[in-house]
Amino acid sequence: MKNYKQKIKLAFIFITSLLVLGACSDDYLDNSRIYAEDSESYFNSETDYYNALIGAYDPLQSTFVNVLLGEIASNNTLCGGESATDVPGYQQIDDMIHTPVNDDLQNLWGWMFGGVNRAAYIIEFQDKTDFEGKEIIIAEARFLRAYYNFELVKWFGDIPIKPEGRFVFGDEKSIPRSPKEDVYSLIEEDLEYAVANLTYTAPEIGRATKGSAQALLGKVYLFQDKFDEAATVLENVITNGPYVLETDYDTIFEFAGENGTGSVFEVQYTDVQGASFECLQCSEGNVAVGFQGVRGYNGDLFTSGFSFNVPTQEVVDEFEDGDNRKDVAILDIEAWAASTGAEYTTGYEHTGYFNRKYLPRKRSATAAGDLNITNPNNYRAIRYADVLLMAAEAYNRRSNPDDDKAKTYLNMVRERAFGNADNNITTTGTNLTAAIYKERRVELVGEGHHFFDLVRTGRGTQISGFTVGKHEVFPIPLEEIQFSQGNWSQNQGY
Amino acid sequence: MRKIFTLLLFLFLTICVNAQTVNVKGVVKDASSGEFLPGVSIIIKGTTVGTETDFDGLYNLSKVKNGATLVFNYLGFKTKEVVVNSQTINVFLEESAESLDEIIVVGYGSQKRKDVTGSVSIVGEETLEILKPIDATTALQGTTSGVAVNLSSGAPGAKVNILIRGVSSNTNNQPLTIVDGYEGDLNSINPNDIESITVLKDAQAAIYGIKGANGVVLVTTKIGKKNKKATVRYDTYAAVQKTTKKLDYLNATEYALVLNEAYAASGQSLPFQNVSALGIGTDWQDELFNDALLMNHNISVSGGGENFRYFVSASRTEQDGIIAKEKSNFIRNNIKLNLGVDINDKLNFSLIANYFTSASQGFDDSLLFNGLNYAPTFGVDEDDTTNFLGIEVVNPLSLLSNTFGETNGNGLEGNFKLEYKPIEGLAVTSRVGYKIYNEKERSFTPIQDYGNSKVYNKTQSSVYQFKTTSTRVNWETFATYSKTFADDHNASFTLGTSVQNDLFDGIYATGVDVPNNSIDFADISLTNLLSEQRSFNTGNSDVRLTSYFGRLQYDYKGKYLFSGLIRRDGASVFAEDKRVDNFWSVTSGWKISDEDFLKDNETISFLKLRASYGTLGNLVGDNLYRSLLDGEAEYVLGGTLVSGTAQGGLPNPSAQWETAEKLDIGLDINFFDDKLSIVADYFEETRKDLLIKNFPVSGVLGSASPGGANPTVNAGTSKNTGAELAISYKAVNTEDLNLNFGYNVTYVKNRVTEVLDGAFVEGGSFAIGNPAPSRMEVGQPIGYFYGYQTDGIFQTQEEIDAHPSQSGLGAATTSPGDIRYKDTNGDGVLDLDDRVNIGKPQADFYMGLNVSATYKNWDFTTYLYSEIGKEIVRNYERFLPNVNKPAYYLDRWTGAGTSNSVPRLTNDATNNKLFSDFFVEDGSFLRMQNIQVGYNFSSDVLEKVGLTKVRLYTSINNLFTITNYSGYDPTHVSGLDQNEKENDGTIGSGIDGGTYPSARQFLLGLNITF
Repeated sequence: MKNYKQKIKLAFIFITSLLVLGACSDDYLDNSRIYAEDSESYFNSETDYYNALIGAYDPLQSTFVNVLLGEIASNNTLCGGESATDVPGYQQIDDMIHTPVNDDLQNLWGWMFGGVNRAAYIIEFQDKTDFEGKEIIIAEARFLRAYYNFELVKWFGDIPIKPEGRFVFGDEKSIPRSPKEDVYSLIEEDLEYAVANLTYTAPEIGRATKGSAQALLGKVYLFQDKFDEAATVLENVITNGPYVLETDYDTIFEFAGENGTGSVFEVQYTDVQGASFECLQCSEGNVAVGFQGVRGYNGDLFTSGFSFNVPTQEVVDEFEDGDNRKDVAILDIEAWAASTGAEYTTGYEHTGYFNRKYLPRKRSATAAGDLNITNPNNYRAIRYADVLLMAAEAYNRRSNPDDDKAKTYLNMVRERAFGNADNNITTTGTNLTAAIYKERRVELVGEGHHFFDLVRTGRGTQISGFTVGKHEVFPIPLEEIQFSQGNWSQNQGY
Repeated sequence: MRKIFTLLLFLFLTICVNAQTVNVKGVVKDASSGEFLPGVSIIIKGTTVGTETDFDGLYNLSKVKNGATLVFNYLGFKTKEVVVNSQTINVFLEESAESLDEIIVVGYGSQKRKDVTGSVSIVGEETLEILKPIDATTALQGTTSGVAVNLSSGAPGAKVNILIRGVSSNTNNQPLTIVDGYEGDLNSINPNDIESITVLKDAQAAIYGIKGANGVVLVTTKIGKKNKKATVRYDTYAAVQKTTKKLDYLNATEYALVLNEAYAASGQSLPFQNVSALGIGTDWQDELFNDALLMNHNISVSGGGENFRYFVSASRTEQDGIIAKEKSNFIRNNIKLNLGVDINDKLNFSLIANYFTSASQGFDDSLLFNGLNYAPTFGVDEDDTTNFLGIEVVNPLSLLSNTFGETNGNGLEGNFKLEYKPIEGLAVTSRVGYKIYNEKERSFTPIQDYGNSKVYNKTQSSVYQFKTTSTRVNWETFATYSKTFADDHNASFTLGTSVQNDLFDGIYATGVDVPNNSIDFADISLTNLLSEQRSFNTGNSDVRLTSYFGRLQYDYKGKYLFSGLIRRDGASVFAEDKRVDNFWSVTSGWKISDEDFLKDNETISFLKLRASYGTLGNLVGDNLYRSLLDGEAEYVLGGTLVSGTAQGGLPNPSAQWETAEKLDIGLDINFFDDKLSIVADYFEETRKDLLIKNFPVSGVLGSASPGGANPTVNAGTSKNTGAELAISYKAVNTEDLNLNFGYNVTYVKNRVTEVLDGAFVEGGSFAIGNPAPSRMEVGQPIGYFYGYQTDGIFQTQEEIDAHPSQSGLGAATTSPGDIRYKDTNGDGVLDLDDRVNIGKPQADFYMGLNVSATYKNWDFTTYLYSEIGKEIVRNYERFLPNVNKPAYYLDRWTGAGTSNSVPRLTNDATNNKLFSDFFVEDGSFLRMQNIQVGYNFSSDVLEKVGLTKVRLYTSINNLFTITNYSGYDPTHVSGLDQNEKENDGTIGSGIDGGTYPSARQFLLGLNITF
């Protein structure tokens, strides 16, 4: 009997010890080793801030769709592509039959808010760690947030804003779409901070400068018809900034002309890294460039693309005789093929013209693929010529017009275009306004500005299919309306 | 003291009745093989007196009363009773795979089949032997009720998916696989090493807690028997494989005519001026498909002595692909050692080890896609240099010649177990399970040029290599104490603990500019060391689980059965306050046939009613609660690409596992002395907290940024209800002729009952430019197809005018010959709101039928498998004007009254390529999986040459498939995903982008045992 009891005792000890040993308690769960950085415990050093700033610049590359689609939306180009169903989202916008269900508008919305949130991430943690020169990084973050918000307000009108930091889950149901004026106020505050804290020389090429912030602020004023403020800030850039017009318009859009003397802000691209269609916003290249390349092209200077965004005869005819910009901005493929022997095929809505400024150029043998979506052409987001024309418009349209100043700036752009002063504009008043509008269209063709210029100046009806009171802004993506559960209403007419 | 007294009394009584006794001896043999059976227990009925057969199957029992009954009992064989009427009694025992006394593993223990109160299915050695699966998972297809098995593709080494009682989760539906106690996989095991596969389908699996919700597959591998001479078995087979199907596509002449018509319809000049000279052209499928070889060798030795038993085996399987066999093949080698040693009568240890290597070569799904779309007018060596077919379609043979990829894996898995039985009724087990798997891949991408600006072009060669190591260690200790109280109350109590750690480490690298643009130099060490395209990365994970579990099993007289169990799991992959949960279940059974009123019933030989209910978990996703800086942050500053930090996927701090609530009510009934047996079950499962990856959230949260992702949210509930029935009938059972039928059918209905915020989840992709075709939405099956309903073809302009406008669908104009879509919401216009449910990828019914017969030395078997009530999306056509087209276009609309199903051909923009039921087909099928005839050589002949058994057989796998589906293989689930949006399998499955078809295999095989 004793033996029996002992055995039970022994067994009990054995089992208990094994159970205790085996369990190790839940502390064991805490020790799992994970090599990863946590977002909420970041910003502990200058490097952390700098790294996050790179993250905030990154989404600029996804603005390729804003440029491409902005141009397609205007009366400068047709959608093109392979067929009538190639990227339906683009085709619909070209025909002004777009609806709240549009993958490309949804991308644009998501990508721009992605930029807003990345910039806001830095702003949210701006007080965590101090170091010398922090205000420059904060200023750039605020410039970037303004840039992304400005794109959003241009495209969608009223948008939700959150000045203190990032949007978090649930905000879509509680934060309303702020009226455009409030969005612009936030943009202006961000840009004023950037203007005050940045200098005209960037620490590295590609980063925003005082000039970038001033020029963008001027543009933001112009979009609100605040001509007095616009004239002041733009005058400031012209007077104090380091910018000069490149003598030769042609050099601007070649690789050698990147970040040149007339570049006020430029989105940087490269083709050293590969990309895939699965994540276009992840490409380090300018996706728009490949999309508007000549289909099946084989010949000098250029490489092939998907033949989207083809200029119309109408915009080509806008160029006056003797305007040196025409052959830089527009590629007449038939003439070019005839003279160089280049081969090409035709796509949908073939007009014979291509957006030569941003056509894919021949590249180094080491360029990473998919070559269609890794073109390294920088996007000249704000050019000095744009600044001059904006200043001209501001002076011409402000409460107390200064048409002489307006003409001076306008004619600086024209003198470069024609190579002489013979074609200078001499009119004043509304005729001058019209001349400035026309000059903007021609100077900036293919750069994604024209649609928004038409809309902000009330000339949207020049676009076929344009309905006043509706097409000034694009529809909020349907899913966003659904996510907001009644918090956000759809734009008028959609 | 009392024990001794009882013993004395017993001895006394025994002596008293010892008047007329005999000494009985004899030999016990296996009825089917004629082998001697050692270790058979022989007991005089009604006593505890008995003996065991020795090494040669001999026994000797003295002083047995004349007229007494001897009970012969042997594991895996039917119990036999013989009345003593002579001094020599030789006995043949019959194997009893389906017998009620069969021992079934149920997780941390085992039970006799008749006592099981959960819903289980079993596949035995015989089924595996007949079906000769390359992956043992395939043996579950059609052989077990409640279990659906689908290959993802027919490619050698392709993944096999198991679904137990349908799809419940939109993420992971794969059951937990436990091999001899360690967590493993079926694909690394040699099927010949498997003794049995048990599938736990209901709440009984709650003993596996957080991993049990998708069901549990318990695999037991073979181990020798004690006191048995070494048995050597050699199995081999070789097979010729051919494709089960080729698709009907246009030949060159038909193609040219069809294209001309489309061009003419759009007012364009005809691409083919001289059609008559084209002939048949190139059949690209003929160029891609080939006959391929499949070979298997397997040798095993098993046996045992007084204190030990062993099983060792080695095998090799080689399979070439039926497409481009030089680039598509699979090799697996296995070495297996199972060893059990009794250290003393209380302590024994066992070692299980399986070493495996695998090597496979494969190619991209795009190969078949290009094969179907490339025009038949091109010669075999001819590339489409002018982009006649568009930039996305290239010569498949050129593509193949530039495909180089191989994956090699090797691993060691098994466990080491100590079992201690200190006192009667108590067994303490402690075991360490392990699995180490190393994988490496090397894929070479040469410089390629298929013609100007083709998307497959590569201007720079590259080689991608990776090496990964996965390590799993699991230590489990549990004790079971069993005791019978007051004669009738049997109780068994189990208490245990388990700790598991899964580690993963990987190094990935890409090098560019491979010397000589050749696979022979495709190693990163030889590539351009300075190139910026060179890249390296690592990946790792560390997942930990701690668990405690307990189970009580109780029965009264073996008639009323009850069990209750609980498991507490903690998982390191969730937020600290969300890590731990308890899972539990109760099961009960009533053996009605043991009741007096049924006990001696001649018709019903066994009747048991079962019920179970409980909760189980599905451990999916890790570290979702963490907000990590793993987004992409790359920009060009100062002229160079620099990288910073950005948030990756949006976090979900309250992320949890999925929880299942399962109910099962079952009936086991046998008739006519167990000749006919029926198992019927009704089941319900509610799966809550479905973890939905990439849950759509507002874009303002920034998840669309590079490297970002939407959060994974516990956002839904689904419910499965269904029933299953398994019937087996031993129609004839004589010495010369045996004839058995097995049939099983499972019905599963799946509905999503809740999605957070009333939203839906989209997935999958169809063609280009269409919205996602698959959805998870309340009231619908998970992953149902969402598109337009067609209503024939517009025959005339009047019909178009009379119909609601279709211009809202994309193409502004509609012409006669275009598809007419239904205005399902009746609002007078056709738009996105008119999309409805047009099918689902999961079948309503799964069925299997098995017929097996033996006649004298001949044996015959066939297995059929069928799925009914599922749809497949035909997505292997590229809608470009000049690509080749399926032959159904020959029946296209060409004028009023010509066709009401296939639209006209035109190069103009039409709405005919929208995702509609025109592209959704009935995927129901019946497939003859296997038909086999074998011959066993007579044992008299074999004994002379020292062999025990020789069987020669021939077999055909996938002989025929009856289906209306026009694609390659309706048995496959899921396919090529051409879209940008990556999705998990469940939402977006059933979309066929040109899947690799299953092979038809003609086997010739031989088994030798000695």
